Amino acid sequence: MNKKFLKRDLEYILSLFLSILVSLLIGAFIMIANGRSPLLGYGALLKGAFGSKYNIATTLAKTVPLVLTGLATAISFSSGIYNIGGEGQLYLGAFAAAYVGITFTALPKGIGILLAIVAGAVVGGLYAYLPAILKVKYKIDEVITTIMLNSVAVLFTSYLVNYPFATTKGKMGGTEIIAEGYHLKRLIKLSTLNTSIFFMGFIAIIIYYLMEKTSAGYDYKMVGQNSLFARYGGINDKKQMIMAMVISGALSGMAGVFEVLGVHYRFLQNISPGYAWDGMLAALIVKNNPIGVIVMSIFLGALKTGSVSMENATSIPSELVLVIQSIIILFIAGEAGFKEKFKELNLKRKSKQKVGEKNA
Amino acid sequence: MLKQVFNLTLLQHTIRTATPLILAALGGLLTEHAGMLNIGMEGMILLGAFFGVLGSFFFGSSLAGVILAGLVGLVIGLLFAVFVVDLKSDEFIVAIAINMFASGLTVFLLRSIFGVKGAFSSPDIVPLPRLKFPGLSSVPFLNAILNNHSIFVYISWILVVLIYIYLYKTPHGIWLRASGEYPEALETAGVSPKKMKYISSIACGVLCGFAGAHLSLGYLTLFSENMSANRGFIAVAAIIFGRANPIRTFAAALMFGFFDALGIRLQVMGIPSQFTQMIPYIATILALFIVTKRQIAKVKKNKERDSSAE
Repeated sequence: MNKKFLKRDLEYILSLFLSILVSLLIGAFIMIANGRSPLLGYGALLKGAFGSKYNIATTLAKTVPLVLTGLATAISFSSGIYNIGGEGQLYLGAFAAAYVGITFTALPKGIGILLAIVAGAVVGGLYAYLPAILKVKYKIDEVITTIMLNSVAVLFTSYLVNYPFATTKGKMGGTEIIAEGYHLKRLIKLSTLNTSIFFMGFIAIIIYYLMEKTSAGYDYKMVGQNSLFARYGGINDKKQMIMAMVISGALSGMAGVFEVLGVHYRFLQNISPGYAWDGMLAALIVKNNPIGVIVMSIFLGALKTGSVSMENATSIPSELVLVIQSIIILFIAGEAGFKEKFKELNLKRKSKQKVGEKNA
Repeated sequence: MLKQVFNLTLLQHTIRTATPLILAALGGLLTEHAGMLNIGMEGMILLGAFFGVLGSFFFGSSLAGVILAGLVGLVIGLLFAVFVVDLKSDEFIVAIAINMFASGLTVFLLRSIFGVKGAFSSPDIVPLPRLKFPGLSSVPFLNAILNNHSIFVYISWILVVLIYIYLYKTPHGIWLRASGEYPEALETAGVSPKKMKYISSIACGVLCGFAGAHLSLGYLTLFSENMSANRGFIAVAAIIFGRANPIRTFAAALMFGFFDALGIRLQVMGIPSQFTQMIPYIATILALFIVTKRQIAKVKKNKERDSSAE
């Protein structure tokens, strides 16, 4: 590995830590302004996220959809095509899994689960194929089309589960429960953590190698990138862009599948509280580094899980973590710019000093 | 049954529901002309809705609510400009952060200030005034549709005209458009494109704040979690559909407002409303497709003409 790149890497990790730290400090300030102790608040949060076997399991359960949608973001963004449509792909993938689970009830256990996963991946992938083609063939901005397609997917599945596929037991905006054979096994008592975390690990390894292998040199990796946000740079191989987008959609679709098979056992019209956005956040923070995505997903999963305990213990509303998260992402978005400004200032000061020396 | 759906009330509702779309889209088209597409409007509208209620509730005046909503919009617009223009951050990432911030902060404040979950309403929230034009009341059809609306309905219409004049008839408006299209040329002419971008972003924030205030103080007087309900994205759709021209964007917003109103009425009658709700999004993708296809065809034609001329 090139030493210079390593240094840049370290520099980035440092500013990353700094961003998170400052954001947490702002959170602490908000707690104080609300008349609460930040020590108690963050203490409860930490305990809630990692305090017991159950808490750790809950944190990990929250991590699963974040890792999948985070990798979905990483693989598309690092290929120069911006899939913001993860939420819609997740909804469609989840519905596809539920459809399989209520339709093919007699399939042997393993086969049924695999079929549901494949169905979710295919549906998610196909839904991402559309904006990919529009981008590559017609140069239509995929950010806009994927955002629009998010709403279309959420509305469409909402129609499906309120009309043709609505459960007959109660009015809840959901499908019937999927057949027993599709339920993924729960791992820790009371927690929703289930075997999907193994599937997730397996998928993550594949994606890791895929990103390593297909990257010519350092295109995909954190090191070689000057800026994650150079939207108009990056790799311009059309085929790769389409592939990346389809894989990205498939990953988001699978995130939805596991919510159905492992957590809810049915499709619900509000099945995701914005997992794809949080996953995207995880990927953005680490500049699409796949290992970083996993670390960040655990961090964000812990924030989410811990925030509930924080609320119970100190009555600080759990939404505070959303505020903290958004501040982190703002800092990260401005990171390159901040650095540049800082260097400029430094240069100015130095040149001023020099001028001063000369004059003296 | 058709009579139940398609009647004067539907048109009246259209005007009502289109207003926040018009206000936000007018703001967004200003940044669009300055070369920035702002999908953070969703969050700005939500913040406007919350702070509108907050101001109206605490100061007992809807004007205070509107001012507070506008101020919050101003701050967020400024923030957007600082990051996008000065720190050269990606506009989509910043916008996503703004949306996340807005949905987190409004729920957080809803719970820590008002101590409620979900929604807050109170008789102490003063609604925006409604305007009655006595001259209209004797005209049967128009009176039902156009009269007795909340004040921002009329303000938004006036703004459509004013912004059109500003953009195409005043030097300042021409600078604004140039800051997006020909920033170097503008710079040479001695006008800072940065400044124009800042102005557009701040104006967009304020207008989105007003859009939010209209939502929470216009007809209902309440704030509910995520009450912007994708209106920011539909406003983006209207801008793209109307190709950032104020008049066309206004027409697009009215059309999307119509489908919104139609969807609500269908829902009440137990008819699926999801497909009418989808229309703005699908229409936008189709519009983008048709426009680029036409452009491609044009380029081809020009090429053919050039080669045959040789």
